[in-house]
Amino acid sequence: MTMGTLWRIALRNTLRHKRRTIITAVVMMAGISVFIAFDSMLSGMDRMAVDNIAGYTVSSLTVRDPAYVEDIQASPLDKPLADPAAVLHALAEEGLKAAPRIRFVAKLSNYNDEIPLLAAAVDPEADSRVFALASSLSAGTWFADRAPKSVVLGSALAQELSVKVGDSVLVSAQTVNDTTNADEYSVVGLLDTPAPEVNRSGLFMPLAAARELLMANEAKGGFATEVDTALPREATLNATLAQGERVAAATRALLPGTRVDPIAFLARDYLALRTAKAKYSFVLVFIVLVIAAVGIVNTILMSVYSRVREIGVLRAYGMTRGDISRLFTLEGLALGIVGSTLGLGLGAFFDYLLIAHGINLDPYSGSMGSLPLSGVLRGEWNLRTMAIGFVFGVTVSLVAALIPARKAAKLEPTDALRFV
Amino acid sequence: MAALHLEKVTKIYRKGENEVRALDGVDLDIEAGEFLTLVGPSGSGKTTFLNILGCLDSPTEGTIVYDGTELHSLGEKGLSAYRRDRISFVFQSYNLIPVLTVRENVELSLVIEKKLKAPEIRERSREMIAAVGLEGKEKRYPRELSGGQEQRVAIARALVKNPLVVLADEPTANLDSHTAEDIVELMRRINAERGTTFVFSTHDRLVMEHARRIVTIRDGRVTGDESK
Repeated sequence: MTMGTLWRIALRNTLRHKRRTIITAVVMMAGISVFIAFDSMLSGMDRMAVDNIAGYTVSSLTVRDPAYVEDIQASPLDKPLADPAAVLHALAEEGLKAAPRIRFVAKLSNYNDEIPLLAAAVDPEADSRVFALASSLSAGTWFADRAPKSVVLGSALAQELSVKVGDSVLVSAQTVNDTTNADEYSVVGLLDTPAPEVNRSGLFMPLAAARELLMANEAKGGFATEVDTALPREATLNATLAQGERVAAATRALLPGTRVDPIAFLARDYLALRTAKAKYSFVLVFIVLVIAAVGIVNTILMSVYSRVREIGVLRAYGMTRGDISRLFTLEGLALGIVGSTLGLGLGAFFDYLLIAHGINLDPYSGSMGSLPLSGVLRGEWNLRTMAIGFVFGVTVSLVAALIPARKAAKLEPTDALRFV
Repeated sequence: MAALHLEKVTKIYRKGENEVRALDGVDLDIEAGEFLTLVGPSGSGKTTFLNILGCLDSPTEGTIVYDGTELHSLGEKGLSAYRRDRISFVFQSYNLIPVLTVRENVELSLVIEKKLKAPEIRERSREMIAAVGLEGKEKRYPRELSGGQEQRVAIARALVKNPLVVLADEPTANLDSHTAEDIVELMRRINAERGTTFVFSTHDRLVMEHARRIVTIRDGRVTGDESK
């Protein structure tokens, strides 16, 4: 029998029992649209988190000394970048915005209490071209030339030490000579960023002040432990990661002897969480589609039972068992295509809503823990996820239809014709 | 040689330890172009006889030769092919495919047969629909037809592929007497014009009156064979 006729009968039977078809298609639609929307939201969260990590803590691409990275837990000052000025020059030649930093272990005191933390010394002007800290001040300013001995603190840190803009704090640290030094600094600004880590333990001071504190004024090209770089924002997270790898490879060729790490490495802890999340979302959609598959088996079985005599007639007119099996498999396929297409449409609509309007996370910022998430969360288009959802839905329908299709094919024509 | 030759055909159904002899050593020859009626009380074996003639069921014992082919030599696929190419059925409750139109129902047996191209199938079914008096109703669905019209479509579907034999199981049982007479007249005319072989089972006196040969079956045995 021709596939055209089988399709015609299958499609018309699908439309004939509208309620059954609609219920099954709606279950599939729900499963696939939730999968697409959930993935879009997760991608948006990942994007927001990686953007915040790059914009507030580690930048998009970092150049350091290889030995420094190997011993990174200690933030060793004896393994600085060999010639930061040369690195900055090379990156500027490539059209990249870059800024030097010194990361050092320090203790911050309000003269009563003391908190150990990882401080960052920055070039205020260059740093604000790479990071978004200067635009995240909740009070005060982002450094000023007239106050070289100044610091900017995370707002939560300042609150913990009960200090405000204009107050003095004591910062102590190990110098490059392995001695301890301390000095008094004026708090000129407080930061309230989407990165909780910065808010809770961010201590920033100008490079010149830090070099003096750390007794590190002699280094060639200016003392710095790293040069941080900003890359143009890409449309999707995957594109961002790919761009990072590409630029890192080019920079490695440009700066032999240095260690160049893109955002994929710098945000690796968060990205590892992302892979786990993706697995959970797939399990979620799998459960929904298994429910849909049960619905499909039920729908096709009901179709088989309501058409037993019809099966007998078709067999009497010479249709083979294979033709009968194909007929009911095609019905499952038709259901799968209808349900998956509707799911794709609804999923795309949810995606659109998430992308165009987003979800404001600020009311939930207290429950986000250490995740770098705040502001308006926006979804991301992901054609691959849409394709996976559609193909998975159709495949599940096809597999679900095989059981009733085999049952129909096994019916003996005489039994089928006797069926009332 | 007869178009259909049955020799000592026996069909035994087993239900647990019970054994039912639905057919018991039936010998019968049916010539091409016959208009034959099977009569007998309910449960006498008429439907079993038609099912075995139609290759829907196989005999427990005995042989059936169809146009020179011994049915025992055919497997499952061979029997499907034989039904597809040589045999047509008309059922008591019409059994049209509800999602197909009149034209599509009539075309169905040719589509299953896969011997003709679409334009030929279209032309052949158009002729057949006209022959059963249903011109203008080609696009209707079975639910839009009367019982008599549905049975006409079933007859058109049965005849469109020029089968060796048309097997009809009580074809007028669900029809009023006027419509039943129309249907029997139609089949009689087609038998006369085209030489198609018809084998009926019936309780209907009207059908018996039109038959040229009446075979009586009782308790699975042929107890009478009368030609007019």
